[in-house]
Amino acid sequence: MSLTKRIIPCLDVKDGAVVKGVRFLDLKDVGSPPAMAEEYERQGADEIVFLDISASVEGRRTLLGVVEETAKRLFVPLTVGGGIRETADVRAALNAGADKVSINTVAVQRPEIISECAKDFGSQCVVVAIDAKRRAGGWTVYTHGGRRDAQLDMVRWAKRVEELGAGEILLTSMDADGTKDGYDIAMTRAVADAVSIPVIASGGCGSPRHILEVLRETKAEAALAASIFHYGEWTVGDVKEYLRRNGVEVR
Amino acid sequence: MPLRIELADYGVGNLHSIRKALENCGAEVHVAEDMALLERAECIVLPGVGAFDRAMERLRPHGEAIVERLNEGVPCLGICIGMQVLFQRSAEGASPGLGFLEGEVVRLSAPRVPHMGWNEVVTADAIMDGIEDRHFYFAHSFRGRPTDGSAVGHTDHFGSFPSLFRKRNVYGTQFHPEKSSSAGLAFLRNFVRFAEGCA
Repeated sequence: MSLTKRIIPCLDVKDGAVVKGVRFLDLKDVGSPPAMAEEYERQGADEIVFLDISASVEGRRTLLGVVEETAKRLFVPLTVGGGIRETADVRAALNAGADKVSINTVAVQRPEIISECAKDFGSQCVVVAIDAKRRAGGWTVYTHGGRRDAQLDMVRWAKRVEELGAGEILLTSMDADGTKDGYDIAMTRAVADAVSIPVIASGGCGSPRHILEVLRETKAEAALAASIFHYGEWTVGDVKEYLRRNGVEVR
Repeated sequence: MPLRIELADYGVGNLHSIRKALENCGAEVHVAEDMALLERAECIVLPGVGAFDRAMERLRPHGEAIVERLNEGVPCLGICIGMQVLFQRSAEGASPGLGFLEGEVVRLSAPRVPHMGWNEVVTADAIMDGIEDRHFYFAHSFRGRPTDGSAVGHTDHFGSFPSLFRKRNVYGTQFHPEKSSSAGLAFLRNFVRFAEGCA
């Protein structure tokens, strides 16, 4: 037996509430991140990711309260990302109850923040999120929620964040994201082969088969998905059962 | 009277889960910001948050007294970094550890580091009694290498390494029981029963 592959549901949180519809919960719990996180744990999720998409500082502050509430009920790791601008934001999220914090734009703007956080809080809680898009001969990194071309080569950036002390890479294909046509296998493989830290594949998941493909055909250690779980088409348990039947070790 | 646990608050990080989990097991948990409180504790939990040197900075002034208490039989659980500080030294930090466990903490040698995710703990120790699925959550780049025979459980990540430690009344885990869902909660319940039995 060895390390199992992780299945990670992702929740988009705005002003303290989950924004995408979730069908499996009672009406009263829809929009409540702690209740949804708890339900996913019950289904067998290995971790939970909260992605804060609040546009305002006020919305971000609300998130910390939600994280605290969630941490009291959740007994699997919780990663919080979105809108982290400085080390103090990372500290605040960890103190509120996040186990890991995911940083993206700020890491590109000021890469030293990765080493600072690794030193102060430990590498294991520093996740660097990389959003990338295909271009001729490779992939380019984007920041600001995919709006700005950082003019950085994805594989080189991935190696750099590893050197700086990141504990994990959350890799999202902007081309695949939202298509439900499957993860970008070539892109995931390019990063997972280039670094020795764990890689979480993200973007494009529309079925358990896509998760199987990315976990079998690349060295990614985890797959992140949102809509296939939210709409109740598949529970995390269903996906794990499917993976197990197809020879992928899961918890 | 419920078991009263001093939970050492020596680093930045999430203490909510461990606190809640221990409370659910029937213990009374006090978050100790002052490490001096550990010297008088009925039971000590050293949580898995922060970095080695930062935790030792806080623990050092009380180190000798804490180890004395552990030697007298005060039950203790060290989780991840909280287990690693029980050793004599660590490759992660410059400061010496508490030295209750003999040996050192070394860098995990594997092609994928940190070892992050759910993996199995193989052990015959009674602390795992009643737990069928022994997959626990790990997130670490260093691991203990004891020379006092305290390794009582092992895990495989490109080779076997010790993941569960026991020396008399003291347990250490490389994994995070507070992040290991039902298996972790069962483990903590067993620890609380064990600690109650030490009194």
